[in-house]
Order: sequence, then structure tokens, then C-alpha cells
Amino acid sequence: MVEKGPLKISAKELASGLVSAKDIEVLIGRIAMEEEWELLGPTPFPHISTLRSWDHMLLSRYKPFYAPFCDYCCLCTYGKCDLSKGRLGACGINMKAQTARIVLIACCIGASTHLAHARHMVDHLIEKFGEDYPINLGQEIAIEMPHARLITGIKPKTLGDLAYLLNYCEKEVTQCLSASHTGQEGNYLDFESKALHVSMIDHLAMEIADVAQIVTFNFPKGDPNAPLTWVGLGVLDLSKPVVICIGHNVSAGIEVIDYLEKSGLGGPGETVEVAGLCCTAHDIVRYRDQAKIIGPISDQLRIIRSGAADVIMTDEQCIRTNVVYEAQRVKTPVVAVSDKASYGLPDVSELPVEKIVEMLVSGSVPGVFLPDLEKAGAVTAITAIRMAPIRQKFKIIPDPSQIQAQASGCTFCGTCRRNCPIDLPIDQAVFNAKKGDFELLSMLHDLCLGCARCEQVCPRKIPALSLIEAAFQHKIKTEKYRIRVGRGPILDTEIREVGSPIVLGEIPGVVAYVGCANFPNGAKEVGIMAREFARRGYIVTLSGCSAMVASYVRNEEGKTIYEEFPGTFDRGGVVNVGSCVANAHITGAAIKIANIFAKRPLRANYEEIADYILNRVGAVGVAWGAYSQKAASIATGCNRLGIPVIVGPQGSKYRRMYLGRAEDKESFTVYDARTGERVWIGPAPEHLIIALETMEECMVWTAKLCIRPNDTTKGRMIKLTHYVDLYKRIYGKLPPDLHHFVRTEADIPITFKEEIMRYLKEVGWEPWEKPSIDPTLLKRLIRAQA
Amino acid sequence: MAMTVKPWQWGNVPGHEMATPVKGDVVAKLVKAAKRPLLIVGGASLKEKLGGKLLIDFAAELAKAGIPTVATAHVYKALKDRGVEPAAIMTVADVTNRLQDPNWSVDGKGPHDLVIYMGVSYQLQSQMLSTLKHFATHLRTLSLDRYFHPNATYSMPNLKEDEWEQALNNVIALLKS
Ligand code: SF4
Ligand code: SF4
Ligand code: SF4
Repeated sequence: MVEKGPLKISAKELASGLVSAKDIEVLIGRIAMEEEWELLGPTPFPHISTLRSWDHMLLSRYKPFYAPFCDYCCLCTYGKCDLSKGRLGACGINMKAQTARIVLIACCIGASTHLAHARHMVDHLIEKFGEDYPINLGQEIAIEMPHARLITGIKPKTLGDLAYLLNYCEKEVTQCLSASHTGQEGNYLDFESKALHVSMIDHLAMEIADVAQIVTFNFPKGDPNAPLTWVGLGVLDLSKPVVICIGHNVSAGIEVIDYLEKSGLGGPGETVEVAGLCCTAHDIVRYRDQAKIIGPISDQLRIIRSGAADVIMTDEQCIRTNVVYEAQRVKTPVVAVSDKASYGLPDVSELPVEKIVEMLVSGSVPGVFLPDLEKAGAVTAITAIRMAPIRQKFKIIPDPSQIQAQASGCTFCGTCRRNCPIDLPIDQAVFNAKKGDFELLSMLHDLCLGCARCEQVCPRKIPALSLIEAAFQHKIKTEKYRIRVGRGPILDTEIREVGSPIVLGEIPGVVAYVGCANFPNGAKEVGIMAREFARRGYIVTLSGCSAMVASYVRNEEGKTIYEEFPGTFDRGGVVNVGSCVANAHITGAAIKIANIFAKRPLRANYEEIADYILNRVGAVGVAWGAYSQKAASIATGCNRLGIPVIVGPQGSKYRRMYLGRAEDKESFTVYDARTGERVWIGPAPEHLIIALETMEECMVWTAKLCIRPNDTTKGRMIKLTHYVDLYKRIYGKLPPDLHHFVRTEADIPITFKEEIMRYLKEVGWEPWEKPSIDPTLLKRLIRAQA
Repeated sequence: MAMTVKPWQWGNVPGHEMATPVKGDVVAKLVKAAKRPLLIVGGASLKEKLGGKLLIDFAAELAKAGIPTVATAHVYKALKDRGVEPAAIMTVADVTNRLQDPNWSVDGKGPHDLVIYMGVSYQLQSQMLSTLKHFATHLRTLSLDRYFHPNATYSMPNLKEDEWEQALNNVIALLKS
């Protein structure tokens, strides 16, 4: 499958000097066989330190800020070592390096998870469709895999090519993880460089996983009009047998649907409801929009305990690790298909379908491990049909009439609250319920993460989470929202349309609401923020759990954002790209802007493209409820590509931010590529990753982080209009750093002109000497030099 | 004061050295004794209630007593409404980041010696206190929230609402005296 061949470098490439001796090794192999679709850039298949100088450049402006979670290191048998207050560990490591090491490990976990997902997906699809199956995303997408082209220099044509790219990714993740061994890397900046490297690989792995499933399963290929479907706890028709798929790898869920269709049982929802939780739900509806999305990760226990599922099928990632126990409590059998998450269940791969169904229906086993996906699809569908009349949707969420009795043991000891990840007043809620007042319990439904920590620690064994659900039951049926099916990549034609207004600043920015559901203050904040920015004409993109919950806030006419705004990647568009792995299309769109619109060479040219994005593409990611290691690597991968990220307050527990200091003018200088002069550009963007406290603060910073040095005066004026408007609304005054962003009078928003002029006079602002430059951090791009 | 206090969040056990729990007059004396205190007021101060008031009301009183104040999150407007013009509006990460620099101060009047957090949500505050504990050993930190913060130098020991109110009123009274 993998083409091996003699070293083949074109004369043009050699003459360009872009191919160095250290690149030769990687050129022997697949890339040597590559058609010459573009001149090979300087960094094909970059290794762990190939882009180190770029990372160090970023890190000299955006210095790592550490907030250790723990004073100790316990990674080897010398430990535990107390590293607090400047003490070194027995191996010589200090707290900064140790914290950076933990960040690196988190990013390696995140990247390897997407990568293993991609590997499973691609191997499965090659088995099903063959290695020559073409990568074709349709007429309107010529740059099919911008990350692959940018990072490796390869233009993948077949599933076999994707498998080859995965070999490279696997090697890089191994290298990066090995740097975290005791007595390896010792410098925090170099740990960070490796975290940035492995997180770049993460985006490539996500792209591979998503493109593979799009082309083979015929998911929407960048369709702005992808259909609307349903999301919410109230979407299921409980009169039918229900299959609920949990996780991120949809290949097994698709087998359930295929089985139903082939057996004449109709599509999802006809005789059997097929629904999902977390990203696998996004991908099921990309396959058949009649399937349903129940909600984000935080709804897992709620829906399991509600007894809705007649079978739970688990694949991989973000699944409750005690899913089998919880499912058993409501007599729901589990079919686990991933060898990465098999829960101690018996492997039944060798048994016939009927036998496995019999085991599950009789309850002789709580679940099975069945990595044979086709068989798992059949077993799951048949078992659901057989189980439905037996189970009668047996649930353990109490009837509202039982709440008071179940809360009666509460002593208001506060233990539950002191173990709740977001410090909810669950103690007060249960204590109120004991006295017959359920209002606070019911209110907590919208804020609660559904983690059940409160139950685990309660000395009186009160099922607090179930009580919250019981108090909310009367509203469950109304929990139904419209969401657009994940459309996947952004069309090249869309990039051509918006490239110029984005780079010039006339579309004020691209805001990506991504990631998990560890929200500090309920899911609705994401919906409020997304609507605010769509109404302001930003391009709003969404993925994963954030894409689901953004629909929970309706407008004045009762419409969700997906009904209110078009699905186009354009001013005021709201674009659900899909599951976590579809995040690669958001960063991919930034890459495409640099290539398609600005004609920057793409092939193996990472630094130049990242430099372009950092200085010109006003994109910002908001992971308001980020919790996972995958979110850590996704965010860090955005950072290497020059895209700033905001996380919610819980994100401070990632222990590291990359923060600029606006007053450090030297750090915010760049070369003017026209002259080679070093020029101050203002703090744009000010930070690469920051944890913020409240939604209001987040909105102001989202607008501010979209400002880029390259904005035209019109563009800067538009961006400042939004920044100033939000700032005034939230703080009641002008932003105190306006003089950092107003380069000439023409930049000043007309609506606030007089007020801003007065302010600028007060602070002694002078028009900038060089308001318009060609900004770059890369010396080699200075044209005067050439 | 010999007191053993469990961190408010049970899981928040950073190490063997934890904050010195302080309450009653000691808190007021600590603040009063500081030469260059800095008060950092966070978004939770707009929600936390005590004694029929909001925490921001107490923060405003402390600011009025002359402690230079940083408004984080979106608390500026509320402080302003209470007659306080803070020295700066910053994110809590931005101010904490700068505090690692021994020469930095919010008003340019010389480095701070006591950094007081108030109304920054528990887990975020804990992380900020951790940064200063490890990387700003020139500073002492104090949490004026009612929850025990092990990463601070000094912290209140999980107080009841009335004890907390009393402690805050003591500080305000002593500073104004
Ligand atoms: S890795 Fe180093 S710091 Fe960590 S426990 Fe071992 S010797 Fe101590
Ligand atoms: S831990 Fe249990 S007994 Fe204590 S307050 Fe919470 S619910 Fe009540
Ligand atoms: S289930 Fe909800 S209330 Fe209970 S600990 Fe988790 S987030 Fe807090």
C-alpha cells in the first residue's frame, strides 16, 4: 500500500535550496513519488525540533504562564518530590519545567487519542472500501486536506495515502512523549515547543480521521445547507426501541444504521431510534439526519439513568468509565466496540450474532466487548428490539413524588458542594428539597455537569444528581432544539469570497466555539456568545459539545442560531463543522485563506503560513467548557498556527497559558517585509491562550483578539467598533488600551469618534509613523534582503 | 494560631505546606500592616451574598479605604457604581502574570507586598494563588473569600456567613480608623 521509491527531487526543488540534507531521509519514500503539485517548501514532514525556532519566536512574545495544580511530581520512584517555591526534584527538574512537562503529556494524550481514532477509522475503512478509495470532497474543494499538504508536503489521493500519513504522525507523537521521561528534556521552553509540535500533529490526525469518514460515508462535503436535525434530552420517541451510541468514533454506530436499513427495518427513527451522545452523535447525523443528538458529554448519566436506552453502544473517548455499572442499574446492556475501552467485558467476537444477542437479552452478561463492527451493528439493533418490551424503559430517576423522601437524610453537611467541580450549591438544593422546595434542584439542571461527584461523597448516600433530574423531569419534553448537521470542511469557493474581507478586517473575525461541556455557568453562555457575534457579522464556527449546546438559546422568535443564521462561511454565518475531529476544518480554513486567497505557498511551508495567520487572519477559538486532554492539544495546535484561544475559568486547570505583555513593546515588534525594518504593531493579538472568568469578559476579549496588525483602516475601524461597543456595554467606558490599536485617525470608529479623540488626546496619542506594513516574524521573508 | 483546616474543595490539596488560616482581628491587622497591598476583585463578587449585601459592596469599601484595586472579569461597572475608580481593569491572569515580576505595581508606586484576592471563583483563584506561591516568593497573598485557599499565604478557614461578614467588617473598620 505504501509506495516506496527511489529518491526523486526535481531540479527546481534542488535549485531552490529548499531541500536540506536533513530532509533527504524523509524524501526517500512516499514524498519522492509525489507529483509536483507545488514547489516543495522548507519543512516537509517536520520532526520534533524542525520548527523549534518558530516556537521559540512565539514563546518569546507569548511567555508561558504557569499555575501548577500540585506542588509535587510523582512520575518516578525518586518521588514524590516537592517542587514548590523553587525547589528542584531529585532529577534536577524545576516547577516550570515540570508543569510544562505535564502540559506536554496532556497534549500527547490528546494527540494520540485523535491519532488512534484516525488509525482505527482508516484501517477499518481500508478494509471496507480498499486502500485505493479516492479522497474526493467534490468540485468545490480542491485543497482537500490543507493540514496534510502544509505539514507533510503530500497531497493525499487515497485512503492508502492517509494510512501513510498516520505512520508519520505516530512517529512524532512517540518522539514527543519520550521527551517527558525522567532525565530527558529539562527546559520549559523546549517542553512547550514539543507540546506545540505534537499538537500540530493532532490537527493533522483530526483532519485524517474526518476526511476519511466524510469521503467514505458520504457525509456532507462542506455543504452550507446541510440539513437541520434535533438535539436535546427530549428528542427521543420512547415508544420505540432505542439505541444510544456514546463516544467519538462513529464507525460502529453506522453499522447499526446499515443493519437496520438492510434488514428492512427502515432508517433511524422508523422502527428503532438511533441517537448519540458526544461527538459520535454529530457523526451519526452526518450519516443520516433522521438520527438524533441527545447532547454533550454532561448528559451521559442523565440519559442512562432515565432508562431511555435499550442498548448502549460505546466506542471511544469521553465515555463514563463506569458506564457498564450505570447501565446495569437500568437493565441496559452495553456493547463496547473499541479495544481502547473494553470495560472488562467478555470478548464475543468469535460467537454468532444470535448467541451474543441471547447473552445480552437474558442478562447473563452486563455487556460484551465486540470489536467486529459489522457484527456489533447487528447485535445492537436486534438486542434493542428484543430488550425494549422487556425493559419497559426501566429507570432509576425517581418520580418527583419521591424527591422529598430521598432527600430526607440530608444534614446539610456541605460535602457534596465541596466536591462539585464547579462548586454548585447542591447541598442547599438537596436540603431545600428535604423541606419540600425543589426549585433550586430544578434550576441546577442547567448548570450541573452531570458528573455525580456529589453522590460519591455524600455520607448519607443521597443520589443528588438523580434528584436534580427528577426535579427537572416535567421540562424534559421541551428540551428539543434544531441544529444543523455538521457540514465538514469550508469550500474553496467560500474562502475566495471571504479571504479578502477577513484579511483586510472587513469581516471583523472568525470565532470558533469549540470543545467540551465543563462550563462554569451552564451551557447557555455559549449560545448567547455565538448569537452575539453572528449578529455582529463575525463568522461563527462551532464543533463538538459546544456546537450542540449553542442551540439551547432561542431568539425572540423561538429560533435557535442554526435556524436564525445561514450555514455559510461568510459574514454572519453560523457554521457547525461537526465533531471534535472536524475542528481540523476550522484551522484548515485559516490555512486555506493564506493559500487560496493570499497565494502563499502551502506545500511543507508551515512557518510562513502560521506567520501569515498570526499577523493577518483575525480568528479566535473559544473553548469555554474545555476539560479534556484533546482540548489541550487542539488549543495548543491552534496556537502554533497563530490562532489565539480563550478557555473558561476551569481551563486554568490546564496549568499553562501563553500570555503577552502589552507594555513590552519590543515583544510586539515584527519585520516590515518590504524594508526589513523592525516595527511595533501593538498587542495584536495580545495573548495566545488565556483563561477568563466570565462570559462578559470573554465577549470583550473575543472582539479584541480578532485584531491583527495587517488590518486595513476600514477593517481596523470595524473591529474597533465591535470592541469599543462591547466594552462600553460591559464596562461602561472606553477601553483603556485604545491607543494600542488606533494607528491613524482613520482607524477610529465613526460612532465613537469624538469620545475616542478626546481620550487619545488625554493619553498623548500620536498617529503611528508606520501604520501600514507587511508584517512578518520571519527574517527570510524580508524582500529587501532578497 | 493553631488550626487545621481542610481546603474548601476537598481535592485541592496541593502539598504539605498550606496557607495559614486567619480569622477575626488577625485578618484586619494583616491588611492594615501591609505597606503596598493590592486588592484583586473578581466576577464572583457580583453573585456572592452576605449579610443582605453583595460581596462587591465589601470590596468597594476596602477600595475606598485606600487599597489600590484591580477590577477583573466584568466587575468594573459595579465598582464604579459604588464610587470606586479602580487602579486598573485587567483579567485575573494578566494581573497575576505581572505580579510575578518583583518590580511591577499596578500604579507605578513601587512593588506590592500583600496581594488580596476577593470574589474570584474558587478554582480559578486557587490556580492564581498557586502561580504566586511558586513564582513570586517575594509576595504574600491573602484570600478574603470565605473558603479556605491552601495556595495562599493566609486564608480564611471556611467561614459561616456571619463570621465572614464580621471578618470583612473588621478589616474595613480597622482600615478606616
Ligand atoms: S521525575 Fe524528577 S521530580 Fe518527578 S518524582 Fe522523579 S525525580 Fe522527582
Ligand atoms: S453531602 Fe449529602 S448530606 Fe451532605 S449536604 Fe450534600 S446531600 Fe446533604
Ligand atoms: S453532578 Fe452536578 S451537582 Fe453533582 S458534583 Fe457534578 S456538577 Fe456538581
